[in-house]
Amino acid sequence: MDKSQDYVIEMLNITKVFPGIKANDNITLQLRRGEIHALLGENGAGKSTLMSVLFGLYQPEEGVIKKNGQVVKINNPNDATALNIGMVHQHFKLIEVFTVLDNIILGAETTKMGFLQKKEARKKVEELSKRYGLNVDLDAKVEDITVGMQQRVEILKMLYRDNEILIFDEPTAVLTPQEIDELMEIMRGFAKEGKSILFITHKLNEIMAVADRVSVLRKGKYIGTVNVADTNKQELSNMMVGRPVQLQVQKEPAQPKEVILDVKDFTVPSKLHHNDAVKHVSFQAHAGEILCIAGIDGNGQSELIFGLTGLEKSSGGTVTLCGQDITKASIRERLGSLSHIPEDRHKHGLVLDFTLEQNMVLQRFREKGFQHFGFIDNGKVRSYAQGLIDKFDVRSGQGPVTTARSMSGGNQQKAIIARELDRDKPLIVAVQPTRGLDVGAIEFIHSELVKERDEGKAVLLVSLELDEVMSLSDRILVMYEGEIVGELDPKETTVQELGLYMAGAKRQGGMSDE
Amino acid sequence: MNKSPLLKKAGTQKLLASLLSILIGLFFGSLLVLIVGLTTSNIGGKGAWDGIRLIFIGLFSKSRDAAGNLVFGINTTNIGNMLFRATPLIMTGLSVAISQKTGLFNIGAPGQYLMGTMVTLMIALSIPSTAVPPFVIWILAFLGGCLAGALWGSIPGMLKAFLNINEVIACIMTNWIAANLVTWLFDIARFSTIKGAFYCQTKWKIADGTFKNLIENTKSGYIYKTTWNNVATPKLGLDKLFPGSQVNAGILVAILIAVAVFIIINKTTFGFQLKACGSNRHAARYAGIKDRANIIYSMAIAGALAAAGASLYYLSGNTEFNWHTDQTLPAIGFNGIPVALLAMNNPVGVIFSGIFMAMLNIIGTQLTKFTAYNEYITDVIIAVIVYLSAFSLALRTLIAGKKKTVVANDANAEKKPAAPPAPKDAKETTPPADAKTEKGGAQA
Repeated sequence: MDKSQDYVIEMLNITKVFPGIKANDNITLQLRRGEIHALLGENGAGKSTLMSVLFGLYQPEEGVIKKNGQVVKINNPNDATALNIGMVHQHFKLIEVFTVLDNIILGAETTKMGFLQKKEARKKVEELSKRYGLNVDLDAKVEDITVGMQQRVEILKMLYRDNEILIFDEPTAVLTPQEIDELMEIMRGFAKEGKSILFITHKLNEIMAVADRVSVLRKGKYIGTVNVADTNKQELSNMMVGRPVQLQVQKEPAQPKEVILDVKDFTVPSKLHHNDAVKHVSFQAHAGEILCIAGIDGNGQSELIFGLTGLEKSSGGTVTLCGQDITKASIRERLGSLSHIPEDRHKHGLVLDFTLEQNMVLQRFREKGFQHFGFIDNGKVRSYAQGLIDKFDVRSGQGPVTTARSMSGGNQQKAIIARELDRDKPLIVAVQPTRGLDVGAIEFIHSELVKERDEGKAVLLVSLELDEVMSLSDRILVMYEGEIVGELDPKETTVQELGLYMAGAKRQGGMSDE
Repeated sequence: MNKSPLLKKAGTQKLLASLLSILIGLFFGSLLVLIVGLTTSNIGGKGAWDGIRLIFIGLFSKSRDAAGNLVFGINTTNIGNMLFRATPLIMTGLSVAISQKTGLFNIGAPGQYLMGTMVTLMIALSIPSTAVPPFVIWILAFLGGCLAGALWGSIPGMLKAFLNINEVIACIMTNWIAANLVTWLFDIARFSTIKGAFYCQTKWKIADGTFKNLIENTKSGYIYKTTWNNVATPKLGLDKLFPGSQVNAGILVAILIAVAVFIIINKTTFGFQLKACGSNRHAARYAGIKDRANIIYSMAIAGALAAAGASLYYLSGNTEFNWHTDQTLPAIGFNGIPVALLAMNNPVGVIFSGIFMAMLNIIGTQLTKFTAYNEYITDVIIAVIVYLSAFSLALRTLIAGKKKTVVANDANAEKKPAAPPAPKDAKETTPPADAKTEKGGAQA
């Protein structure tokens, strides 16, 4: 229907093979001028591989790339830059100790006789930031600015290089809800200017909000391209996962029983500043309920969990777990009664250079059965790990002996969840258990947590995603600046009200003592 | 896709990468020999050819015949001496390898080696063999040496664990502290101050009650051999197998320890903890493993292994220790680094790389003996091998025959598509070059 000239970039029949897997199998992606084109797929569906091919990081085995109808060969990122293709990576590539301006012009400096001409550069950047509403302090050091602002720096980097094709790789993963709205607005502005945007994501809300068309990949295969106006979230998620997906959490009302975790007047010092990160917090978690700690990132949730699990020392208050005072207990003693799905799966959750099976017994290797007289029983470990892999459908290249590092993020997370849930402890601490995961995996993890709750476990959930907070939890505690400022019932509250508590605009009387 | 399955195995690729580094190192040494030979009038082509042959098969060189040609054949003295010299190298290699396995870089092996030397010699010489059976003294001296090394190694370990001080810096400092401490203690220590119990009953010919050998004039500056007190590692018939050499049962002890280390690292819960702490201290802590304790254990074991190398070397009874160490650090300590590097930190591999390094040492002496070249050629070869070992990842991928070792799942790609293929082994394979610069220090 469209003439080919309308496509600014065409990736035709791209096939990229890695040992043992076809990461991209005959994929065609056509990007129109001035459109926002979303690329949707689960973790490991091949989105990033496809973008890496476009960016010149991989060479495809088959297929061609056309720009404005002309076949082009992209051998490395420099070629991509020359073709005015720019990319904002999920993890920013900025030099922390440089100023914002220096970061933007780095690699594309204007010089006169070998001397930097920052004035011209500054003028150009200022103009761009005004035109697109990208507010940044050009003289601030990158290490001092927020993540949202760092992203704007990355975007300005692309604009400064006059890129016409902008690739955003999961740009919203690190942003607060307000920042996400701003980003959407900026992207719409670009499209209006005639720039073309490729938007990699697995968040359906964002696609519905901002994209014109969406191409769906599944397990390396091209599923189809649809107009966003003609589709809905359910249809998209079905395309992505390949089966009907439950977008809403299915659960019965909670039946809270005895107190499992009792936290009193708990204080945890901050590593970043002199104030306490967690200030005199008190709450109880009951068996058979999912208690959610909500809040904007950085309001003491992480430190609260570190304090509860023993990863950081508390400076005041008591923690009682299953009737035992664990305030001073070692991490190992605490692990006797709690499972911990950590916030940072790479830092805490996994030893990335260990195999999957070694990671599966990270806490249990000392238990009888896995070792005899100090010698690890590899056969037992293997069969145990295989059991978990089968039960939780953890996918990996070589099964139990796969190196954790080589697994996709979603499967790494599944492995952690498998390990922690199988340890079968009365308290499950789950910190952002679905971060960066696709709908299929999220559905799975949510249903597992609900199942654990129904079996009488106490689930302490920390989440930054409002959707997750509202749909999964039975009771919500909102944290703001290290204090619990409100206790809400998800059935009675609204997202708006929750947002007010999270932003510190509202607090319940008596919730924060002292 | 036409690679045989054997080539695809990581182990095979590692082995081939090491062999390739060795081969390139030997060729580079030969090239040097050739250039020096052709540009030096009194060596010439024939001399250079002799040198090159010695570099490759110097272990089997015997003598020069009447016509001045090199004679090759099985040389039991060379082989025996190679095994003897390999003993401490294997131990310091193990020391470095085990620390690497746990994510630490033990460059403190020379200091630990010195502390082991001192304590071993002092014990071996101060307990009179007239009162205590020599094999008991041997065991006490060996264990004492190990303990001293363990304590010395645990100092940087504790600094790392509690204060997060880089172990490399702490190790370098403890090395020099050890060097001066050892000299000082040998300077002041006297048997005669240990009144009564032991010294008075001994019938030794020790002159003034110090450990320093003042009897044999040419030996000034050296400590007594342990044979003065009838303490020596048994030969177990190895001297019959390799007549004319210094070999003794120490090499068997070293091999046994290497195998034991392999088992500990790979098969036990203790090794699991050490490796977990080494690869990801945070995750280990999360899993309830005591990360600080494990860092200290790791360094203590590394220290004990290096010191055990010293004990085995000096308890042989046929080596003398120059007590004046305040200016030098023992090269054997530093050579543990290339040994471990070449073995890719595999404890069993260390046995072979240690023997190979000892062979280079023998080749060096043969070069000095039979040609106009000197033994420092072998230092160049070691340097080249160390350098190439640092590139082992590149060599391995070359052998594997693919551009990048990207594992199928695009998990990593998903996270950071534009990142250059960061070699995750980089941290394991970047030991500094001073490993080789210190070589050629004090070898008895």
